[in-house]
Amino acid sequence: MTEKQAAGAFVFEPVPGSPVGSVLYNEHLKLTDKAHIAEFAGYLMPLWYSSIAEEHSAVRQRAGVFDCTHMGALEVAGPNAESFLDATTTNNVRALQVGSAQYSYLLDAAGNVLDDIIIYRREKEKFMVVVNASNEPKAKAYLAALNAGKTIVDSAKPDRKIKTAPFRDMRDTKTGSDCRVDIAVQGPASPDVLCKLADTSVAQQLKNLKSFTLCQGKLSGIDCIITRTGYTGAKVCFELFVHPKDVAKLWQKVIEAGALPCGLGARDSLRVEAGLPLYGHELDGPYNISPFEAGYGWAVKLDKEFFIGKAAMEKISKTYKMKVARIELSGEKGIRPVRQNDAVICGGICAGWVLSSATAGSRQIAIIYMDKDKANEGNSVGIYYLARSESQVSKGRKQAVKKSERINGDITGKILSRFEKF
Amino acid sequence: MIPKWLLYTKDHEWAKIEGDIAIIGITDHAQNQLGELTFIELPDVGKEIKQKGELAVVESSKAASDVYSPITGKVTEVNTALQSKPETVNDDCYGAGWICKIKITDKGSVQNLIDAAQYEIYVKDL
Repeated sequence: MTEKQAAGAFVFEPVPGSPVGSVLYNEHLKLTDKAHIAEFAGYLMPLWYSSIAEEHSAVRQRAGVFDCTHMGALEVAGPNAESFLDATTTNNVRALQVGSAQYSYLLDAAGNVLDDIIIYRREKEKFMVVVNASNEPKAKAYLAALNAGKTIVDSAKPDRKIKTAPFRDMRDTKTGSDCRVDIAVQGPASPDVLCKLADTSVAQQLKNLKSFTLCQGKLSGIDCIITRTGYTGAKVCFELFVHPKDVAKLWQKVIEAGALPCGLGARDSLRVEAGLPLYGHELDGPYNISPFEAGYGWAVKLDKEFFIGKAAMEKISKTYKMKVARIELSGEKGIRPVRQNDAVICGGICAGWVLSSATAGSRQIAIIYMDKDKANEGNSVGIYYLARSESQVSKGRKQAVKKSERINGDITGKILSRFEKF
Repeated sequence: MIPKWLLYTKDHEWAKIEGDIAIIGITDHAQNQLGELTFIELPDVGKEIKQKGELAVVESSKAASDVYSPITGKVTEVNTALQSKPETVNDDCYGAGWICKIKITDKGSVQNLIDAAQYEIYVKDL
């Protein structure tokens, strides 16, 4: 765990507002009860349509479609776009080929993770940067501050300057004609679903699309950026970036072609099962988790001459003592589910905490944050359930467990590989 | 689905009054919002509980929620079948998914419950 550093930290105060329906809100109301719609990152989004378990299984066995129109999509373009993104993100943008995508991080000069992102290189001088819905206002404010020279880029050299490049919000139809929102079609049958909507040349293209690449073509007559990316751990997965005016039609077509609509519940259980991080849980968040601890050191290119936050990342890469691990536990009915902040126990002492958890079939998968030297695949760890109610507190159950505190676990889990593909 | 013969709370519990015993459960609206239950913590038999006091904890894969007592009394029986099959609450919340029976010690607490028509209006406005 690293302390948040003030020097070079980018401070963003979100403007509070009422939640708004996603672009597909009316479609959701056709498919599910209002009781299953909840606020997420300022948007009213479905938690599930049929059930989390059914939707989870559809993505593993066949194909599911997710409303990702709440995700931010920013275009960075122009002669300085490559240079600007290479300086502002941790991965190597100069090595990114046209038609390819890379996972990366946006850090501030103090090394705090502002967001985890995917950068798509559409043309030599045109990039699409997809950011988390919850971080979109902050990411926009940060890029604007960098362009205006209003935030420092290097704590050690406060006068350091980087080349700037304009960006625009691709979801906002006022910023241009090429506007995009995202829906994700994920699972083994997703090529069959999309091929039903494609002519032979597009069908051929999307069948040949490799992981972390993209193409552009029409599905049901709608212009799409088709990418082989996703957040479910599915080996076969696509995201479709389309104009907001066309997204409801495409959503309907994808469902007609056989994809099951899936809500945020399955989105979370699938990403937990696969070990993928969620910003605020496995990255940054209350434990201020760095990319190295999260298992993504490869996306932080310390051999680059410069990127914002590099000095802090160099230090963390050599000193981090805890890391993110994935465990499985019994998920039989009648077993109390583990939850965020429950304590991880090794040898009768607290070695860390649960970050996220989910039910996947008859097992529970949890992503935990624990002592690096104890987090070996195959090891057993105990989990202590924190109190869920006042009566449990009155019976002596703890509401928080400190690191190294002596305590026994209530249930035993086994450490799995960090990630799993399905 | 709101049976007319039951009484309700605004926290989405129901009570079926049979003499001085109340059978307690959670409503269809509550189970629908929670999603499939994976765990339930039942109260101890003999527990004395006030109206709105914490009676049970129900957990789905996404959330843990308290169940509050609709009336003041003493727990006389709990539905132990739910411990291994908590999803019975989803399947039959007004029948086999009952949570516990309470001997009513304060009859006045029953007066605070709302009837099916009032509960239906309340849920519609949520």
